[in-house]
Amino acid sequence: MAKTRWWKDKFNLFMVIFTYIITFCIFATLMTVILKGFPGIGKALMTKEIQFSIKLSLYTSVISTIFCILIAMPIAYVLARTDIWAKQLISTILDLPLTLPPIVSGVCLLLIFGTTGFGAWLEDIGLGFVFTVKGIIISQVFTNLSFTIRVLKSTILSINPRLDYIARTLGCTPMQAFFKVTLPLSKNGIIAGTVITWARALGAFGAVLMLAGATRLRTETLPISLFLNMSTGDIDAALAVANILIIISVISLFIFNKFGGDFIGDSRVN
Amino acid sequence: MISLENVSISLGDFSLKSVNLEIPSGEYFSILGPTGAGKTVILELIAGLYKPDKGNILINNENVEKIPPEKRGVGFVYQDYALFPHLNIYKNISFGLKLRKISQKEIRNTVLELTELFNITHLLSRFPGTLSGGEQQRVSLARALALRPKILLMDEPLSALDPNTKNFLREEIKRIHRTYECTIVHVTHDFNEANTLATLVGIILDGQIRQVGTPGEVFKNNGDLKVSRFLGLSAS
Repeated sequence: MAKTRWWKDKFNLFMVIFTYIITFCIFATLMTVILKGFPGIGKALMTKEIQFSIKLSLYTSVISTIFCILIAMPIAYVLARTDIWAKQLISTILDLPLTLPPIVSGVCLLLIFGTTGFGAWLEDIGLGFVFTVKGIIISQVFTNLSFTIRVLKSTILSINPRLDYIARTLGCTPMQAFFKVTLPLSKNGIIAGTVITWARALGAFGAVLMLAGATRLRTETLPISLFLNMSTGDIDAALAVANILIIISVISLFIFNKFGGDFIGDSRVN
Repeated sequence: MISLENVSISLGDFSLKSVNLEIPSGEYFSILGPTGAGKTVILELIAGLYKPDKGNILINNENVEKIPPEKRGVGFVYQDYALFPHLNIYKNISFGLKLRKISQKEIRNTVLELTELFNITHLLSRFPGTLSGGEQQRVSLARALALRPKILLMDEPLSALDPNTKNFLREEIKRIHRTYECTIVHVTHDFNEANTLATLVGIILDGQIRQVGTPGEVFKNNGDLKVSRFLGLSAS
């Protein structure tokens, strides 16, 4: 169909208008928050509480993203390239946290760290996760890892495995082939995966709330701050935080599309 | 000498059934068969990229079961070239040399020698994505030959190329076989290629080697109905 003639057909006209309306609704909803909250950002940024939240959110999300990428890369490689025993089952289990409501993930984490001997032992060696900043990080990792694995897996699947074979015949051990061929060709996928994982970590709420709690100036990340301010009726602060989160989302979506949009085409052989 | 003894492997829907094959050193051996007959897998088995489920693979009378691909001394050329898209042509060709303890100067000399042989010296700083099919395949050949392998495995190296480039590269490959004195195993579905290049031809059908001989012998009708039918020799 010619691109310029869509309005001549009633059915297509309806579909196109429908698309415009829905897009407008989504945009209008976001704009309401932006228009109401944006003027307050400057003032909010000066408060100790928001500054604390931003710092804590940045700190926890950066650390959890690094963990996600480091953990996800080997797993993505295994899932994309090897035929391991019970692969389907393993793949399903690794996917689970993606479909699980985050608040349920939070309950699981709270139970394992708060009520078991394993959790007690971890606390003894200095890894207390219940109601701590470490708990925020592990909640973010737990809820995001499946997602990071998926992005990296699709990246590796898009790389011609023959490049690996060729590297082997040219003298690479499997490890050298990974570091000299697969990893550099995954670059764009890793960038996209990092950005989207980070953005999700910044927004993590349910699991964080369950495991780390919502303590002002202690485990108060940006989403927790939004929740606390909303429930105490400080709408200006809440909207300012919402705005900060929206701005971060827009920027990371832009970066993800830039790298994620073409990483499949780019890393495919030739 | 490369020998496959009762080699069986199944990969998904596809399988090779107790393949026996002997390729004497220095020969230009062409494995001829229709698409999906298991030709590529035979090459990948020789290279060590897959392990056979059953049977043995011997290179110069040594069982190579435990020898990984990087120590088998084979060069590999694929139909889709499989050049490293993130490296320029110089780095593609020198990839294997750099993994060994060879001086920069020596690497440079080897690369230049090969690129002159294939007439691709002007492409050294370009990236694979910007090259034509024929150019890419010449780079791929140069990369495989850089380590002077005793065995060169080629999987349909000419199939993706236009007729002119194909004829040109066919002559170059012939020349390589003479100059480098390596054993070449060339997989193809093109009778003409097998006929003009190979010193020995093996016909593969349904995962089994049906017949081996010089091109003259193989392209004569000899009674194996399936082979004759594949070669278009059968009257019935």
